[in-house]
Amino acid sequence: MMRVACQGLGVSAGDTVLLDNVSLSFTAPALVGILGPNGAGKSTLLRLLAGYRKPDRGAVSWNGRPLSNWTATERGAACGYCPQQFEPAWNYAVAEIVRLGRDRRPGKAAPVEAILASNGLADLAARSWSQLSGGERARTMLAATLATKPPLVLADEPGASLDMRHRLALLERLKAYAGAALVIVVMHDLDLALRFCDRLVLLDGGRLAADRAAGLMLDDPVFTATFGLRLQAEPRRADRDWVIGLG
Amino acid sequence: MRHRFLILGASLALALLFGAAAGHDWASPLKLASALSGASDMESRLLLVWRLPRVLAAALVGALLGLGGAIFQGVFRNPLAEPYLLGASGGAAIGATLALLVPLGLPGGPALAGLSFLGAWGATWLVLAVSGLHGRPDTAGLLLAGVAVAAMLGALRSFLMLALSDDSVNLQVVLSWTLGGIQTPDLAGLVLLTVLVLAGLLLSLSLARGLDLLGLGDEQAFAFGLDPVRFARRAVLVGAGIVAAAVAFGGLVAFVGLIAPHLARWWIGPRHRALMPASALIGAALVAFCDGIARAVLPPAEIPLGLVTALIGGPFFLLLLARRLRP
Repeated sequence: MMRVACQGLGVSAGDTVLLDNVSLSFTAPALVGILGPNGAGKSTLLRLLAGYRKPDRGAVSWNGRPLSNWTATERGAACGYCPQQFEPAWNYAVAEIVRLGRDRRPGKAAPVEAILASNGLADLAARSWSQLSGGERARTMLAATLATKPPLVLADEPGASLDMRHRLALLERLKAYAGAALVIVVMHDLDLALRFCDRLVLLDGGRLAADRAAGLMLDDPVFTATFGLRLQAEPRRADRDWVIGLG
Repeated sequence: MRHRFLILGASLALALLFGAAAGHDWASPLKLASALSGASDMESRLLLVWRLPRVLAAALVGALLGLGGAIFQGVFRNPLAEPYLLGASGGAAIGATLALLVPLGLPGGPALAGLSFLGAWGATWLVLAVSGLHGRPDTAGLLLAGVAVAAMLGALRSFLMLALSDDSVNLQVVLSWTLGGIQTPDLAGLVLLTVLVLAGLLLSLSLARGLDLLGLGDEQAFAFGLDPVRFARRAVLVGAGIVAAAVAFGGLVAFVGLIAPHLARWWIGPRHRALMPASALIGAALVAFCDGIARAVLPPAEIPLGLVTALIGGPFFLLLLARRLRP
């Protein structure tokens, strides 16, 4: 089972401290949400956990082994990392992108056609990137990321460009996937985070503000203070998908 | 996919035929056939010994330019990247100039090849360092860095030619180099060039998956198991080697490295495994064709190949740039 830990992580950009002395440890299976206001350091933390960015202070380890000792190939096989920004230089087709994701561990993955079908992308297989909607792009990247069934998934706002129904479907999918894997997701939807995640990590100004089981986060005064919001929680009726707060 | 490659092969065959026919004296297909079948008259012998090797050399240099251009565009993730525009060819030419004009006491062939390679590699790294490798270098920054490096290298080369030339060195050879032109190779040269093209193709194909991933952007390439910085370093090394070989045999030939990968991507798609051979075939056809024009337009004089490709490629490049800059 996958284990990810970081110790005393710190990153600065010029004079600005992006992340300051963050220590965390995650064990599969779990769906972990990373929350925080803009500029809290969420994406920076995820990049460090993925190894894309090297910390100025502290270290990250996967399964007890320092991340700096993992080769690029090993990393790619173990982890599905979904960055926030993705803009390919060439106009790849959906099937080509899924294949590139799949081929990072070809022995473990299903054929491309099967991956496309199980992700509802079969009709889009030959469609090129420039012809896709934001939601179709997000679904393509998720399919490519999960194609090898990685034991660790790190995703940076994967639902940002999705409508409500697809966002809900995405979280349900990640929740199911996290039954046998470690999934860490940067999120902005507090309601979805509270509803789906097992555990929530709250960042504020580059520091770790709180780290709780999801059920305990809402009542924590730190939570509301961090966002500067007074929140109202309502139970959702069993036959409804989402609660909309009316002004 | 297969019939698309067949059409590329047919285009190359046509270009070779045109190249073989074109020249001061145009040769009919019949004449070419009799020369190939070993006729012993003077004209046939001239065709066989002088023109055909030159046409083949032109095609092979074109294949190198096509491969080099595809690697450059892949590494820089920019369809406007080109060895000539980015100073790599200029760097190789500096190396070649030094090898030709400075009595280094080194064996001629290897010194020329080695210095050309170092020049191409160094120039590419300078452009990479200035425009930034991380993320995706933006078009304007990349082209400006390339133009500045190419201009500096051009000035340096002119200075070297002025400062180092005396009666004993062959300035004419250097000059023809800078304008681009295929020399008629002997058999050994033709074999060497063929080996270089095959090695270049194999090396390019070994980069195919990495270039595909790099095209997704640094961060996504990393996510799919590539170390983008390390890979780019290796790819630039291979690209510089291929460009150096092309410059050593064909001088500074502009824009083929731009046009060939571009047409190949349009015709065959962005995946580099197919793009590499397609770009090589298109480059070969282009240079064989342009070399034929260079020999045939102003007989008995020969216009430099670099002029022909620049006159054809320049407008093509401007069109691409205009399309890219339009919002």
